[in-house]
Amino acid sequence: MGESQNHGMKEKQQRKQTIAFALLGGAMIAVILLITTIWASNRARISTRQAVSRVSEFYLEELAGRRAQVVSEELKNHVTYMKNAVDILEPSDLESQESLRSFLGKVKKLYGVDKFALVDENGIVYAQHSTTSGLSRYGFLSQELTEPVIQTQNLYGAKKQVILAIPVEDVFFQGLRIKICFTQINISEMLSSLTLQANDNETYCNLYYRNGESLTNDSFGYLTAGKNLLSELKEAEMKDGSSYEKLREDFDKGKGGQISFRYHGAEEDLCYVPVEGTNWVLTILIRNNVISDQIGSISSAMMKRSIIQIAITMFVMLVVFSLLIYQSRKSAGFLLEQEKADGNRIRAAYAQIERERTAMDNIHAAMDSGLWSMEFNKHGEMISCTWSDVFRRMVGYEGEDDFPDCLESWSDLLHKDDKKQALKEYWDTVYDYTNEKTYDVEYRLLTRHAGWRWFHSAGRLSRREDGSPITFVGLFVDIDSEKRMEEQLQRQKVDLEDALAAAQHANKAKTTFLNNMSHDIRTPMNAIIGFTSLAAAHIDNREQVQDYLSKITTSSNHLLSLINDVLDMSRIESGKVKIEEKETYLPEVMHDLKTIVQADITSRQLEFYIDTADVLNEHILCDKLRLNQVLLNLLSNAMKFTKPGGMVSVRILQKGKAPEGFASYEFQVKDTGVGMSREFLEHVFEPFEREKTSTVSGIQGTGLGMAITKNIVDMMGGSITVVSEEGKGSTFTVDLQFRICSGPVRQDEIPELKGLRALVADDDFNTCSSVTKMLSTIGMRPDWTTSGKEAVLRAKLAREQNDGYSAYIIDWLMPDMNGIEVVRRIRGMIGDETPIIILTAYDWSDIEEEARKAGVTAFCSKPIFLSELREILESPFTMQSMNSQKQNTVSFEGKKLLLVEDNELNQEIAVEILQETGFVMDVADDGAVAVEKLKGAEPGQYDLILMDIQMPILNGYEATKQIRALNQPGISDIPIIAMTANAFDEDKKAALAAGMNGHIAKPIDVPKLMELLTEILNQG
Amino acid sequence: MEKNFITCKAGQRKIWGKAFRWMLLAAAGGTALTGCKGNVPDGEIISFSEITDAEDQAVKSQGGDSLDFKSQNIEDQAKGNRESTEGVVNFDRELDGYQPLKKNYNFYFTYKQIHPWWDAVALGIEDAAKAYEKLGIVIDYEYLAPDEASAQDQVRRLSEASLRGFDVIGVDVADAGIVTPAVNELMEKGQKVMTFSSSDAGREDGCSRIAYVGNTHNYEDGAELTEALCEKLGYSGNIAVLVGVEDAPCHEDRARGVRDVIEKYPDMEIAEIAYDEDSVENACNLTREILKRQKDLAGIVCCNMSNPVGAARAVIEAGREDEIVIVGMDHDQEALRYLRDGIIYALGIQDCYSIGYDTIQVAVKIADGLLPGEAYPEKTEEITTIIYQDSAAAVLQTLYGEIE
Repeated sequence: MGESQNHGMKEKQQRKQTIAFALLGGAMIAVILLITTIWASNRARISTRQAVSRVSEFYLEELAGRRAQVVSEELKNHVTYMKNAVDILEPSDLESQESLRSFLGKVKKLYGVDKFALVDENGIVYAQHSTTSGLSRYGFLSQELTEPVIQTQNLYGAKKQVILAIPVEDVFFQGLRIKICFTQINISEMLSSLTLQANDNETYCNLYYRNGESLTNDSFGYLTAGKNLLSELKEAEMKDGSSYEKLREDFDKGKGGQISFRYHGAEEDLCYVPVEGTNWVLTILIRNNVISDQIGSISSAMMKRSIIQIAITMFVMLVVFSLLIYQSRKSAGFLLEQEKADGNRIRAAYAQIERERTAMDNIHAAMDSGLWSMEFNKHGEMISCTWSDVFRRMVGYEGEDDFPDCLESWSDLLHKDDKKQALKEYWDTVYDYTNEKTYDVEYRLLTRHAGWRWFHSAGRLSRREDGSPITFVGLFVDIDSEKRMEEQLQRQKVDLEDALAAAQHANKAKTTFLNNMSHDIRTPMNAIIGFTSLAAAHIDNREQVQDYLSKITTSSNHLLSLINDVLDMSRIESGKVKIEEKETYLPEVMHDLKTIVQADITSRQLEFYIDTADVLNEHILCDKLRLNQVLLNLLSNAMKFTKPGGMVSVRILQKGKAPEGFASYEFQVKDTGVGMSREFLEHVFEPFEREKTSTVSGIQGTGLGMAITKNIVDMMGGSITVVSEEGKGSTFTVDLQFRICSGPVRQDEIPELKGLRALVADDDFNTCSSVTKMLSTIGMRPDWTTSGKEAVLRAKLAREQNDGYSAYIIDWLMPDMNGIEVVRRIRGMIGDETPIIILTAYDWSDIEEEARKAGVTAFCSKPIFLSELREILESPFTMQSMNSQKQNTVSFEGKKLLLVEDNELNQEIAVEILQETGFVMDVADDGAVAVEKLKGAEPGQYDLILMDIQMPILNGYEATKQIRALNQPGISDIPIIAMTANAFDEDKKAALAAGMNGHIAKPIDVPKLMELLTEILNQG
Repeated sequence: MEKNFITCKAGQRKIWGKAFRWMLLAAAGGTALTGCKGNVPDGEIISFSEITDAEDQAVKSQGGDSLDFKSQNIEDQAKGNRESTEGVVNFDRELDGYQPLKKNYNFYFTYKQIHPWWDAVALGIEDAAKAYEKLGIVIDYEYLAPDEASAQDQVRRLSEASLRGFDVIGVDVADAGIVTPAVNELMEKGQKVMTFSSSDAGREDGCSRIAYVGNTHNYEDGAELTEALCEKLGYSGNIAVLVGVEDAPCHEDRARGVRDVIEKYPDMEIAEIAYDEDSVENACNLTREILKRQKDLAGIVCCNMSNPVGAARAVIEAGREDEIVIVGMDHDQEALRYLRDGIIYALGIQDCYSIGYDTIQVAVKIADGLLPGEAYPEKTEEITTIIYQDSAAAVLQTLYGEIE
C-alpha cells in the first residue's frame, strides 16, 4: 500500500515536472521567436528604405529618360506617318470628297490619331467625316509652313491637344492647293500610356513647357491640375541639397535633373528630362514619404502578425492535445447507443408513413382526386416529385414513361393565361417559411384526349424548424364542368345587364327625343297659328298682315328645317344614308360654297375669307352633296353666331400623310363669333344640344345640325374637332381622306413665264402665301405685299430697276387702298401690255365696268387653286372674265305647263306662283288624267309637266312611264319634273329612273323651282 | 497648415450659386472652410493657418488625416470650379436616346463668318457626331463660312449645297431679308432646311425652314446686360453701345434690348451707337474715338464677341477703367480675363457647345422625316448666362483650361 502510494506520488511528481519543463520550454521558444522576429523586421525596414531610396533615384532617372524618348519618338513617328500618308496619296483619292474622306479615314484608323486632316490654301480642313473652315480654330493655318510644326492647342472646353503639322507640296484637290497635313493627338491619352500612376496615386507623369506651363490638365501630385510647375514649386521646401534656382535654370536651358522637396506636408522626388525636338520637359514625380511610410507600416504589420501567430500557435497546440485525449475516451460507447435508438425511430416512422399512405389512397380513390407530392432538401431545393396514377389518368396519361415524375410534366401543360399565376402560387407557398400559406389555385391543363380542362389544386407543406420545406403534398380535382357552368351563368348575367341597360337607354332617348321634338315643333307652330289668327283678325290692314305673313314664313321655314334635320338624323341613325363617291372637282365645291353663302354673308355684314393651301389633288372621289352639307352646316353655324363686323373663314389644306391613291384634307371653318362654353363643347355634337345663350339671344336652330354633321363626317371616315372660347369664336376642323381620281395638279413650270417676276397684293397673308407658292411652282419669281400702297410702290421700284413685274394679282378690297385704285395707278405706270388680275371673293359684276376702265385684264374668284392660276396665266389674256357670271335667261312668258297634282290646295299655290311668272297653266287631278290629256294633245301644246308622285289612281312614276311609252313624237319626250314631298336621294333616283328630267321637293322653294325650270327649258 | 488654399471673396453683388454652394457644403462637412461661413468682408483671405487645432482634430477623428484632407480639397477646388460653370456651358452632353433610322447622314452647315464663336459651336457638332459614331451611325458634314459675313455669299452657298444631295442643310442666317427667299426656294424643291446658332429666320417672318436651334432670346440678353449696367451705375449716366454687324438679326435684337431698357430710366442716355463689323481692332478704334468725344461716359454695352475685347483695350489704354463700366457678350478668352481682372463688369455667355450638339441631334430627326412636335421643338432654345467677376476664373478654367 505504502509502495503503491509512493509510486503514485512519484508518478504525480514526474507528471508535474514534465508539465513544468514543457511550459518553460514553450515559453522560451516563444520569447526567442519574438525577439528574432522584431530584430529581423527592423533590419528589413531599414534596408528596404535605403534600397528603395537608391533604386528610386536610379529608377526615376531611367524611367523619365525612357519616357521622354518614347514621347519624342512618338512625335517623330507621327511626323513620319503623315509624310508617308501624303506620299501614298493617289490621284484617285483626290477625285472626289468621298474618295478623299475614305482615304483620310483609313489613315486615321491606321495611325490611331484623334484627327487626321488636310488643309487647302483657303484654310478649309478636310477630315474623315467633316469639311470645315479652320482659319480661326487652328492658328498655324495662316502661316506658310516650311518644316514640321508641333503645336499645342487649348480648345474651347479645356481639351488640350497636340497638333503636328507638315507642309505639303504638289497636291491639289478640286483645283485648290493642299498646303498642310496635320494630326491631332490627345495629350492626356498619349501620356496615359506612359504614366506609372498606381491606384494609390504615388507616381505621376506629365509634360511641361520650359516656362513651367503644363501641357495637360492632368493632376500632378499635390500640384493643382494644369498649374505652372515652376510657380507652384516656389513655395516648396527643398530637401537633400536640391535647389529651386537650379530647377528653374535646368528648365530654362532644357537640361534634365532630379530634386527632392516637401510640398503640402508630403516628401516627393521629381525627375525631369527634356523631350528631344521640342521645348517640352517630361516630369515624373514619386511621393517619397508615402512609400517610406508604407514600407514602415508593412514591416510593423509583419512583426505584429508574427507575434500574434506565435501566441496563437502555442495556445492552439495546447488546446488541441487536451481535447483529443478527452474525446477519444468518450466517443466509442456513445456512438453505439445512438445508432440503436435511431434504428428504432426510423422503423416506427416508416410504419406510420405506410399506414397514412394507405389511408390517403383510399380517400383519393373515393373522391376521384389525384395526389401529388414533392420532397425538398434543407436548402429548399426540390429533390423529388411524385405524381399519383390517379393524377396521371385525369390528364390522360398512363405511367411514368408517359408522364415523368418531374415538375415540368405538369407545368408544360398549363394554359398560357394561367401559367404565371399557378407557378407564382406554387413558389410563394414553397418559400413561405412562416407556413401560413396554403396552395389553392384553379387553372387549365391541356389533357391528352379532352383538350383544355379546368382543375383545382390544393396543397400544404411540412417544414423544418427553420421553416425550410420538407414535403409538399396536395390534391388535384377536375372542376371543368362546374367552371364551364359558372362561366355560362356569368355570360348570361352580363348579357342580361347589357340588354337592360340598352332598353333603359333607348327608353330614355325616346323620351328625350319626344320632349325635345314636342318643344321644338310647338314653338314655331305656336307662332304660325298665332300669327295666322292675328292676320285673319286684321285682314284689312295690309301692312300688318304683311308683317304677320313674314313672321309666319320665318316660323314655317324654321319648322321645315327642323323636320328636314329630324328626318336626316333619323335616316342617318337607321343607316339609310349611304355615302356615294363620285368624281368631284374641289375648286367647284369651294366656289359653290362661296356662292351659296355670299348673300347671307353680305346681309349679315360679315367679313368672309376662303383660301387654300398646298392643294395638289383637286379631282377626288367623294359624296359632293354630303361634303357640301357638312361645310354648309358649319358655315351656317358660324354665320349664325357671328355678329355684324365679325369674320368667318374657310380654309382647305391638303396634308402630306396619305396612303397611295388617297389624299388627306383639312377643312377649317373659323369664326369670331360668340364662341361656346367649355361645358357645351363636350356636348356640341349630341342631338338637340343647344348653347343656352343661343336660346336667350333668340338665335334659332334645331340643335341637330352639328349632330348630323358629325354623323356624316363619321360616315365619310373622317373626324371633326372644335376649339372654342366664349366671346372669341370657334374653329371647327374636319379631317377627311378621299380617293383621288386623277394625278396631282401639274407642278411643272410654264416655260414662257419662267423667271419672270409677279406681284401679289392681298391684305390676307394666307392668300399672299398661297398664291406666291403657286407662282413659284409654275416658275415665276413672286413678290407679295399686304398693302395696296406698297404694291404701287413696288411696281414703281421694279420698273426703275428695269426688272418690272410681268403679272400682277391684286385683291379687290384692301384696307389702305382698294384694288381698282391700285390697278389704276399701276396701269398708269406700266402701260397696257402687262396683265393685271383682280382677285376677289365677291360678285364683281357691279364693278366690272369700272375695273375694266381702270385697266383690269381679268377677274379671278377666291379661293384660287393651282389649276385655275395655271389656266389663267397659260392662256393669252383676253378681256373676257374667267368666271363670267352672266347667265342665259329664259322668258317663261307664254310657256305652257301641265301641273299634275291631286291636292287642291297645292294646285292652287302652284298655279298662282307659276302664272305670276308668265306660264300658261293647265291642271290634271291625277296621273291617269294627265296621261289621257297627253294622248289627245298636239306637239307643242305643253312645254313642260310638273308631276306629283303620290296620287290615288295612277302615281307619278307610272304616269311618266306611260307618257314616255307613247308613240307620239313631241309628246312622249316632254320634260317632266317631279314635284313631291318625297325629298330623299332615293326619291330623286326613282324619279330619274322613271324617265323624269328633274326633281323639286315640296314645300316649293320658288327660286329653286325657277332655277330648275330655267335649266330644263334651256336644254330643250 | 502653412499654405493658403482658398480665396473666399464673398459679399460681392452676385455670387455664383454653385461655387458658393460648394464652399458651404465643404464647410458643412466639418472641414476647414468654416471660416467662409457668415459675413466675410470683401476680398478677405481665409487661410488654413486659421484652422483651429480642435477643428483639425475633428477632421482626424472623422477617419481621415489632415494631409489627405488637404489633398482632397485641392482636387475638390478644381472640381468645384468645373461644377460652378456647369450651368454656363454644358460639356457633359449625351444623346437624347432617339434611334436614328439610317446608318449614314450627310449634312451641310453654313454660318455667318469664320470666327472663334462658331468654332465653339463646331466643337459641339464634332462631339455629337462622335457620339453617334459610337452607336454605329456615321455623320458626315460640312461646316463652312466666308471670311467676312455676306448674305449674298450665303445664298450662293445654299444654292450650291442644294445640288449636292445633303440630307439637311443648316444655315445661320446672315440677313433674314435676303436669305429667307433662298431658304423657301430650297424647301419648295424638297430640300430640308434648318437654321441654327446665332440667327433664325422664323416662320412668322415668312420663312418656311423646318426648325431652329440656338439663341432665341437675343433681345432679352441685351436687355438683361443693360439692366445689370444700369443697376451698377445707380440708374444714371451716359453710355455708348457697340454693336457687331448692321442688320445681323442677333446683334440688332440685342441692341434693341439695350435701347428699350435705357429708355425706361430718365437719367440714362445713349450717347453713341457704333458698329465694329465683328472686328476687335474696329471695336478698339471706335471706343478710342468715343472716349475722346464723351468725357462723361459712364458705361459701354457690347452686343457681340469682339465688342467687349476692343472696348476693354481702349478703356485700359485711356486709363479710365475705374470710371467706365463695361458689359458685353460671349466667351472670348481675353474678355474673360478682363472680367476676372475687374475691367469688364459682366459678360453674357452663350452655351455654344450645346448649340452645336443639339443642331446635329435635330438635323438627324429632320433627315428622318420628323416634323417639329414631340420629337423636337420648332425652336430649340439654348441658354445665355450672365456672369460676373467672381466666376470669371472658373469659367476661364472650364472653357480654356486657364488657371489663375
